[in-house]
Amino acid sequence: MFTKRVTPRREFLKKMAIMAAVSTATAMFPGILFAEEQERNLPKGSGDMEWKKAPCRFCGVGCGVLVGISEGKAVAVKGDPKSPVNKGLCCVKGYHSVMSMYGKDRLRHPLVKRNGRYEKTTMKEALDLIASKMKETIKDHGKDSVSIYGSGQWTIPDGYVASKLFKGCIGTNNVEANARLCMASAVTGFLTTFGSDEPMGCYEDIDHADVFILWGNNMAEMHPVLFSRLLDQRLKRGVKIIDFATRTTRTSAAADKSILFNPQTDLAVANSICYEIIKNGWVNHSFVEKHCNFNTGKTDIGYGLEDGFKFKDKGTPSSLKAFEKFLEDYAPEKVEKMSGVSAKDIKYMAALYGDPNKKIMSLWCMGMNQHTRGTWINNLVYNIHLLTGKISTPGNSPFSLTGQPSACGTVREVGTLTHKLPHGVVMNKKHREFAAKIWDVPVENIPAKPSNHTVEMFRALDSGDIKFMWIQVTNPMVTMPKLNRYRDATKKEGRFIVVSDIYPTPTTDIADVILPSAMWIEREGMYGNSERRTQYFEQMVQPPGEAMSDTWQLVEVAKRLGFEKQFYYKEETHIEEIYNEYRRHHEGKKHNMAPLEVLKAQPGAQWPYVDGKSTQWRFNAKYDPACTKEGFDFYGKKDGRAIIWERPYEPAPEEPDAEYPFWLNTGRVIEHWHSGSMTRRIPVLHRAVPKAYVELNPGDAKKMGVKNGDKIRLTSRRGTIVLDASVDERGIPTPGQVFVPFFDESLLINELTLDAYCPISKQPDYKKCAVKVEKV
Amino acid sequence: MKRVFIIFLFSLLFIASVVTIKNSYKEGRETALVYGTEVTEIPELLHEAALFSRSHLALDYKDMPVDPSKERNLDSYYKNRAFHGAPPSIPHVISDERNMGGKNCLSCHQNGGFVQKFDAYAPVVPHPEKINCRQCHVPQNEKNLFKPTEFPKLSAPNIHNKALISSPPVIPHQLQLHENCLACHAGPSAPMEIRVSHPERVNCRQCHALNNKETLDIGDFTR
Repeated sequence: MFTKRVTPRREFLKKMAIMAAVSTATAMFPGILFAEEQERNLPKGSGDMEWKKAPCRFCGVGCGVLVGISEGKAVAVKGDPKSPVNKGLCCVKGYHSVMSMYGKDRLRHPLVKRNGRYEKTTMKEALDLIASKMKETIKDHGKDSVSIYGSGQWTIPDGYVASKLFKGCIGTNNVEANARLCMASAVTGFLTTFGSDEPMGCYEDIDHADVFILWGNNMAEMHPVLFSRLLDQRLKRGVKIIDFATRTTRTSAAADKSILFNPQTDLAVANSICYEIIKNGWVNHSFVEKHCNFNTGKTDIGYGLEDGFKFKDKGTPSSLKAFEKFLEDYAPEKVEKMSGVSAKDIKYMAALYGDPNKKIMSLWCMGMNQHTRGTWINNLVYNIHLLTGKISTPGNSPFSLTGQPSACGTVREVGTLTHKLPHGVVMNKKHREFAAKIWDVPVENIPAKPSNHTVEMFRALDSGDIKFMWIQVTNPMVTMPKLNRYRDATKKEGRFIVVSDIYPTPTTDIADVILPSAMWIEREGMYGNSERRTQYFEQMVQPPGEAMSDTWQLVEVAKRLGFEKQFYYKEETHIEEIYNEYRRHHEGKKHNMAPLEVLKAQPGAQWPYVDGKSTQWRFNAKYDPACTKEGFDFYGKKDGRAIIWERPYEPAPEEPDAEYPFWLNTGRVIEHWHSGSMTRRIPVLHRAVPKAYVELNPGDAKKMGVKNGDKIRLTSRRGTIVLDASVDERGIPTPGQVFVPFFDESLLINELTLDAYCPISKQPDYKKCAVKVEKV
Repeated sequence: MKRVFIIFLFSLLFIASVVTIKNSYKEGRETALVYGTEVTEIPELLHEAALFSRSHLALDYKDMPVDPSKERNLDSYYKNRAFHGAPPSIPHVISDERNMGGKNCLSCHQNGGFVQKFDAYAPVVPHPEKINCRQCHVPQNEKNLFKPTEFPKLSAPNIHNKALISSPPVIPHQLQLHENCLACHAGPSAPMEIRVSHPERVNCRQCHALNNKETLDIGDFTR
């Protein structure tokens, strides 16, 4: 008893002492002034570093970073506390991003292939050669024999001049970007449901939502800064995070609930959730009546495996009644067996979506987009939000994330896809006329028919329809599916490939001319992130050697092709001139872009930028000045109504069978970004994950007698590869599935993947094909 | 007749109340979706937020024994970072690749102290509320490089930076994510060169001022 009385007293005294100390200290806080006076005579410590703002070079989250510049070199990075995206936090790639510019093997001078060997040359000579080769090819084989393949890492000016040169001046729609492999399904999802691309909400939804459902999205590794915002909200407000995936990851470990499903069955589960919502009377009838239409689409739509595959979707009007009837096949008890998700869990998710007192955010990225029914699954998640009316209000947000810094800014908004123009599509006469006027070209220049989407473009290179391809800021010889075929295509006689990059990669290996590019803050530019935010960065350091921005490479070639009139830009001010010209395409309340001064002054602005204000929530009259109706106005569609689509479950094109009994899933790791050409040159990141591996389910591994680190051979119908086994480490695939990251250029998993794509979006599915797994 | 009328009246009242309740319920379900929608100002990362968050341990720090043979030093501290201010990498083996900080990393790194398993003092994290640790901190599983680098790593600022022989040293580093001084400067886990002799005086910035260009430089002052 006695000792028990002593302890509290001691505790009490201790606490008193601390409190006294803290309160005295706080009271004396002005003392800091004395200290400042004292250090006036000091030499500056690490003081000559200057911090300049930029969006991060890597993923589509678009964190604001501050880059420390000292003596003309970028030496440090920290998060920009003023950025509403990341509020001062970065991820490990962001913190070390500047190191990606300093790899010793940076390309500093152009290289031209002569007699099988690369010879150093000058920029002028290389650009002359490219221009003359383009002229010659167009003369001999027609306009559609030349093509450009860019990327979601293109800055806005890069993509804009590429589109203007190829579509407007040369007159071919052979303009594509790797974002086709990355978010084309998100685009067609938005267009089919809302008629207007890109999310209605923004990252601030995270601060309002009560529940987060992640659809096949390992956010803890792929969008870590946003995931930290989710975790932060959980600490502050007790929100719920549900991880709905085919693989147990760090996200599952952090989530409140992890629900696993069999590959491709997300289609059935999403329909099952709608079934439950209707059955339990959770439909927001007044919202649906006022703001939605019902449509049925085509079914059994194919997989694009044949060369020259064509498909055109068509919606026919339907009704809620018919929709209900359609959903009868998707009762949770029926879906349970096929999806591996218990009926209880389906009902649980439906109840979360259905609860009128819960604000809910759905988040997804490649899991839903790299899907042979990618457009459909995007539609289906919108269905859930539309049925319950949980959309376009703070915290109620179906949110499609992106993987590249300017997939939205350059590819979707500038429209560097075969069917797109900066404003509208090539199929529309008015849109062509509008673009031609700003571009100062005859409208007949722009062909009315889209030509080749990415997969088809490489197939055309194989068949010989395309003879010339210019590849900028991307590494297709690591990232194309069914890689062996498309690599062989580039090596065929009579093909001419130009590659603009910063390091030697498997793609520069197939080039006839290699141009050294200036990257990121070595030049001036803008990126557009997932929440419609356009961000500007100035040139902070000098590019190495003769390296030149992709924009200026294109401008130089355009001038050599005789388009001086259209490419009138001055070298010192060309970025500003191009951006101002580009803004004209988007004038109007629906898509106005912020002026450059605004982008320079603040950490980005969100379009539509109207009357000096960013729009955070589109389609909601309370926030969006483009709305013409009270309440909600989905103005992308003529009647202002979003569409709820009937989209059934259809199987994947290649499912595991007796010969190839495993699913192969591919993806990323937090340390490496895409094909690894930048992040692998950052010592910290390379040392963390030096090579690719194959994750197995521990149960499967046990059956095969495989331990961690054992050699495993994977074989698909297209290729074979030997990798180290990873059992019960970072990720656990569901039984019967293996996972391999794709960053490693010496272990190319894409030699095994299948080039099947979503017939609507033409985006390939990298997440599902069948493989054989053997212990070596 | 009168009775029928009263029954009729009551049933009318009943129906009316059912309709009213139904309507208000329906309305409630819709308005429930849009509560609390006011757009808040963007809260910035507060440099002052965690200033005092460890000060209740200050007296403990003072009394903690230090084994000099196991002490950390500044040299190893900087070696573990790509540049001054970069997130440190993880220099030890990790038992669980998937778990989040709360269950794993923080068991040693929340409060530091000696960890038998690694025979070392565990550094204290200045921002334990951020639990996706491996968002920024990664292990080093390989010695070699993919390609050599020419990244210009600046040397860290000098810590002997007193203006006068008697004056307190200034803070030569950024505060973002390191605003909690005691995490790195107090107790046996702190590198010996920067361990403070007086952790109990918890209001560090009473005497130690920031000295980095970002917060102080206003150019040459002119009236």
